[in-house]
Amino acid sequence: MEKVAIIGIGITPFKARYLDKTYFELAYDATKLALEDANKQGAEITHKDLQSTVYGIYNELFERQFMPDIFINSYIGMNNKPGTRIASGGATGGYTVRMAYAEVASGLSDLCLCLGVEKCNDCYDIQTGTTTPEVLNAIAYSADMTYEYPMGMMAASSYVSMVNAHFEEFGSPTEEQMALVSVKNHGNAINNPKAQSPMKITVEDVMNSRIICYPFKMLDCCLYSEASAALILANEEKVKELKIDNPIWITGVAAANTDCFIGNREDMGRLYSNIYAAKAAYKMAGLDYNKIKEQIDVAELHDAFSGQEVISYEELGFVPFGEGGKWIEEGGPMIDGELPCCPCGGLIGCGHAVGATGIMSTGEAALQLRGDAGKHQIIIEKGRGLAHSIGGPGAAYAAIIIMENQEAKK
Amino acid sequence: MEFQAHQIKDILKIDYRYTMGGQSKFFIELMNNKKLLGTKCTKCGKIWMPPRINCSECYEPAEWVEMKQTGTIEVSTIVWYTTSAFIKAIPYGIGFIRLDGADTAMLQGIFSENLIPSKVKKGKKVRAVFQKEREGKMTDFFFVPEDEYESWIIKPEYEGGSE
Ligand SMILES: [Zn+2]
Repeated sequence: MEKVAIIGIGITPFKARYLDKTYFELAYDATKLALEDANKQGAEITHKDLQSTVYGIYNELFERQFMPDIFINSYIGMNNKPGTRIASGGATGGYTVRMAYAEVASGLSDLCLCLGVEKCNDCYDIQTGTTTPEVLNAIAYSADMTYEYPMGMMAASSYVSMVNAHFEEFGSPTEEQMALVSVKNHGNAINNPKAQSPMKITVEDVMNSRIICYPFKMLDCCLYSEASAALILANEEKVKELKIDNPIWITGVAAANTDCFIGNREDMGRLYSNIYAAKAAYKMAGLDYNKIKEQIDVAELHDAFSGQEVISYEELGFVPFGEGGKWIEEGGPMIDGELPCCPCGGLIGCGHAVGATGIMSTGEAALQLRGDAGKHQIIIEKGRGLAHSIGGPGAAYAAIIIMENQEAKK
Repeated sequence: MEFQAHQIKDILKIDYRYTMGGQSKFFIELMNNKKLLGTKCTKCGKIWMPPRINCSECYEPAEWVEMKQTGTIEVSTIVWYTTSAFIKAIPYGIGFIRLDGADTAMLQGIFSENLIPSKVKKGKKVRAVFQKEREGKMTDFFFVPEDEYESWIIKPEYEGGSE
């Protein structure tokens, strides 16, 4: 397999709504930003040099368009080249990075565009005169339509089932421990100018916010966001040819789909997809599941809901099962902690632009490793970072991307 | 010149006559006889509920078996904010119920006279209550705490099961 590097990163601001841009215009913006970033790293390329695209597109109902990828393909000037769409729920971004990696690693492309776009908040609920219930309805169609959708299942009730089952087993995460994730991620977002929800809040603010589904409160949940994120991936020969100063190598990619029916799972309180994807990605990158916390500098986790971030600390091997809540109480995942998690603000701080989110998380970890994260830059010592994507019915999809800056390592 | 935004109203809607295929018997027995049918793998004996006519683990057929209408809550939540299709129903309880004898758990509504987290907690015993007017859909039944069963089945719109 070819070695694969991220040589260009483009992320648009995450916003509640873009009234001045269509979905396709947003796709163009991130692509242009990624090309400009690659050219700042030493390349001299345009979209004409990109040989293929892998598109992260979550669902048709948000975009009011089936096969949105072919229309993006036209708008970003990529006609007569292969473009492939990936759709894996909230994990779409991570799965898109994985397939774009495969496009280059396999030798099919030397330069590949990995592009995720989201414009979800055009959905509108007439009865309440608000956006979110209709956005949630468009998402709810990804529950099993025969047995689960008719019960009023939605994203929050799906995640909360796992969190409640985890609490029954371990007595953690408590509501206060979950609230700490919200405090951390809204707080981290203050230093990320692209974030939708920067906020200085307290545990009490989270505890006092309105109940969504027991025990998740409003501030435990991410907001749906509109944005676009793009990465340009290159093989080693291209990195040399283009004289890229600071390539971020993708050293591990893995994904796993666990059973989408939570009721079929032996342990309802954990996501085996996270565990399998993490172990496989670490192995590919030559890292150790039991020592991973000491081997990486940064983790961009999928914190769609605060409680799942706490459980992810355990599933991804940062701490033993049952100890995630204690770890955040001790400050472990804080921006100045043992292993900063979501220094950009994650989904709770930035917003969740579903098709783009995992590509943003990967791009953010890469920016950290490059030293280009701006005001939310953390200290890089080991030169390695991780991006995590989960989603879909019962959060059945999980993807992990491991990145390395081989210059920073020394 | 200052940017002026423009939006258009639109709606997507498709009508279906959705095929229930090999699972049809579950919905027919639910509608006509208030029975809850699971399936049992002819090889490993695993009992699937919701039913599937093939065992996904053994790749062998699974046969219909009538299930008990009592079970245990594995995990639950109470929903206070939700999708446009369900917002009129809040607050509502949902949870994964393992019917007695089943190897898997099914998502269902959990109704209670007193819908608080401790009432619908893991380990609570529940029993199925049926709509009098049934359409052969999952909404034809729901679960209530076992000690509330008698008070639910005397309501005019509901009735007890076949047991
Ligand atoms: Zn079997």
